[in-house]
Amino acid sequence: MKIWLYIGLVASVVSIGVALYLFFWVKRQPPGTEKAQEVASWIREGAQTYLKRLYLALTIVAVILGFIIAVVFSFDLNEIASGQAGITPINGIRMAVAFNSGALCSAIAGYMGMAVAVEANVRTATAANESLNKAFRLSFYAGSVMGLAMVGLAVLGMTVIFLLTGDAEVILGFSFGASALALLAKAGGGIYTKTADIAADLVGKIEVGIPEDDPRNPAVVADNVGDNVGDVAGMGADIFDSYVASAVAVMLLGASANSLSVEYVILPLILCTLGIGASLLGIQFVRVGKNGKPGPALNFGTIITTLFFAVMVLALVLLSDINIGVLWATLTGLVTGVIIGFTSDYFTSEDRKPVFETARVSGSGAAINIITGFSYGLMSIVPSVIGIAAATLLSYYLSELTGLPGIYGIGISAVGMLSISGMIVSADAYGPIVDNARGIAEMAGMDHEVIVKTDKLDAAGNTAKAITKGFSISAAALTVLALFAAYAEVVTAAGIEVDMSLRDPIVVAGVFLGAMTPPLFSALTMLSVTHNAFDMIEEIRRQFREKPGILAGTEKPDYATCVGLAAQGALSSLVLPAFLAVGLPLLVGFILGPNALGGFLAGSIFTGVIFALLMANAGGLWDNAKKYIETGKFGGLGSDAHKASVVGDTVGDPFKDTAGPSLNTLITVMSLVSSLFAPIIAAFSLF
Amino acid sequence: MAVHLYLSLVPEALIASMLEPEEFGSYYAVGTKKKASGQAIFLEIDPDFRSKYLRINEGISRCVPHEDGTPKSSIYIGVYRVLEHIDVSALGKLYLVTKDGRTLGIDPSEDIPPLDDGLHLYKEIVPVSPLVASRLNPLDFFDLIVKNPTSLVTLTAIAFAELRLDELASNPEMGQVGDLPYSNMDHLREVLKDLKTKPVATKMVDRASPASFAYRTVKNGFFVGNESAMAYYPLPSSDELQESHYRWWRSANM
Repeated sequence: MKIWLYIGLVASVVSIGVALYLFFWVKRQPPGTEKAQEVASWIREGAQTYLKRLYLALTIVAVILGFIIAVVFSFDLNEIASGQAGITPINGIRMAVAFNSGALCSAIAGYMGMAVAVEANVRTATAANESLNKAFRLSFYAGSVMGLAMVGLAVLGMTVIFLLTGDAEVILGFSFGASALALLAKAGGGIYTKTADIAADLVGKIEVGIPEDDPRNPAVVADNVGDNVGDVAGMGADIFDSYVASAVAVMLLGASANSLSVEYVILPLILCTLGIGASLLGIQFVRVGKNGKPGPALNFGTIITTLFFAVMVLALVLLSDINIGVLWATLTGLVTGVIIGFTSDYFTSEDRKPVFETARVSGSGAAINIITGFSYGLMSIVPSVIGIAAATLLSYYLSELTGLPGIYGIGISAVGMLSISGMIVSADAYGPIVDNARGIAEMAGMDHEVIVKTDKLDAAGNTAKAITKGFSISAAALTVLALFAAYAEVVTAAGIEVDMSLRDPIVVAGVFLGAMTPPLFSALTMLSVTHNAFDMIEEIRRQFREKPGILAGTEKPDYATCVGLAAQGALSSLVLPAFLAVGLPLLVGFILGPNALGGFLAGSIFTGVIFALLMANAGGLWDNAKKYIETGKFGGLGSDAHKASVVGDTVGDPFKDTAGPSLNTLITVMSLVSSLFAPIIAAFSLF
Repeated sequence: MAVHLYLSLVPEALIASMLEPEEFGSYYAVGTKKKASGQAIFLEIDPDFRSKYLRINEGISRCVPHEDGTPKSSIYIGVYRVLEHIDVSALGKLYLVTKDGRTLGIDPSEDIPPLDDGLHLYKEIVPVSPLVASRLNPLDFFDLIVKNPTSLVTLTAIAFAELRLDELASNPEMGQVGDLPYSNMDHLREVLKDLKTKPVATKMVDRASPASFAYRTVKNGFFVGNESAMAYYPLPSSDELQESHYRWWRSANM
């Protein structure tokens, strides 16, 4: 089976190679007019400003955490217990290196995604001048850079570490590094993007009456940069994190199960390798047909990739000694992921009842709009939760029936779901690229025809985004279930009997504290948005007030100040949320003990998943209710219904793009921290 | 630098300015620190036009460049009962300015819009700005307001626009609202039903209607005139505006 590790290495290198090839292919495309290039350069510079600050913050975090990890993991707890010196620096160093490698790989994937996105946006707008097909192909291939780089780097990192150490626990360090970056990238990106978006809209659209993407708005560049930092770097880091975490959880479960041979430890890597192959093939099938509809092209890509992957897993099971339960668990994960993704679309789609009803009642005011949207958001949890529950039960019992440990099967279903991330992230990263292309077309004064085409491309991007959100939340839910089981295994291995009975008040206290954390995290990130948006609103007003020539079109706004405000505000707002993710599980663990920490994780998983689904879907629903009214329904633009829907959309903005998507990362980080530090918690906790 | 005369309709004022119409529109809507933004509608007036009621020469003589050489943006010549003292023959292009300062100029037309049988909705702009529903077509409505000595409500001059009613024009009870953005739609339906069933020609929909309104709701165009003449300014179709005046149309739809 070791041959699979080398195949994985080759596949990951090929994936990174294809990503690099596409990166340079995109850069070779015509960059468009001087004006378009100037506008694109503002966005590119803004993105670079943010990335520099983000990576500086990450470097500081990585050095501090790396040092702590190196010190803590240098102690050999077994030797200390037996009264010996018990210090093995090499263990600490290799864990710290794995941690930093995880952060570095995630950062490289994010950087590549951002770098190509800010090159592809202007080229997509230019290509749209020629044809929709050409623009679609360019933007999708640019999105593929992120998707392929992400899966390639993840598999490369995990495989190299396993080949060098043969220890799945070290990969836990790699995963923790990726998650730490994901938390900063996702939450920071979410705060950045909504700060800029809300501030730009409140002053630009509502106070002054200038349209979206109008170059007279001082926050327009920050808004466009935000699309990239939130949806390219942020979403990429989020899925990278889940992708690695699901694999490492299953590897740990495989290693701890006495009944399983070593091939089940590396099986997640094999599945990821097959997923890379399926994604590379699936990407070739994403083409806009004669009907010129980009949305179905993206969906077709996802479905065909899923089919390729399923066939590959079938072949693996038939041609090797791998238990057939792996196939069932994988199929369960795949089918559930696709179904949950598409059912999420039901609650946010303009031609379905939830959006229609929310739009219809908006004529009665913002309060009714918000109550209706929120209620449908709550209802949207139902199919996804049923899907997750069904996937959990099916993968568990189908695995048990075939002789595999059930909890291992749950982990495999998460890996199965995430194995096609190469394709999923490609489709997702396409969204902000075409969104930016539309913005550049507006700002550069390109032909109306270009704007119509980029609008069409953008609509497909929004659908892909909704599907990806449902997919990533469900995948994170299954991943943390596997991590939860892995945590229990690690604690048991440390000699502590795990008993998470709800009759134990310590466990109940842990459950409550865990359940409290996702809502608190959501509140902190959303308050950061309002706080930072308030500052930016003042800055935009100041510019309009002090420079009347901006609105008259005779004076250029100061875009850089708004970009700087958004970046600084986003990163400085991360201190408390980051503490919640890393510090709180450790506090609970060391003070209340491993059983309470188990309860803590369980509580956080349940409220985390529910809040993530609610926020993502309610936010998307309010957004599309507004868009539906803007198409001329229920009074159209400027009507009372429209004004109410604008309020709903603004409320939903930090729901769907800041707090909601960050919760996946939060629960993953907390589960990883708990698993990583479980042996130390077991040894030194007060209870 | 030439001095232009502009008749602002929102609010009613005669202004001398050294700015070209598009520059003036931008300045008038957003280029002042007094107000961040605001819709504006104005007409260009023949610079040779003079009236004994308006001190135009004095206004023009005060309209000189600033010390730094920049053009004078505005000298107010009159701010009340201005339209009634201006000959329709002196009216030039009509300019529609969006809230964010984009300006669209439209020429007067000899072609009167087709007169249909349905109900009508009129947004009066000058001298007062109520929203009025009527059974009368625009020409008859104009005559009723300006030329009918038996009417209790008579004005010496008026500027108004006919707004879209779409399906409500023929079916006030059940017609689809579609993209009509009017507030208090139930009241509007009631007023329109009354017009169909009661022997009245016009009914007030909103006596305190806001001065600004969405350009996309204009059905055919703007009517400006007095007892002696009337000028009609047709608004291009939405398709034409989208194709040929995209930036203005986009701002107008905010």
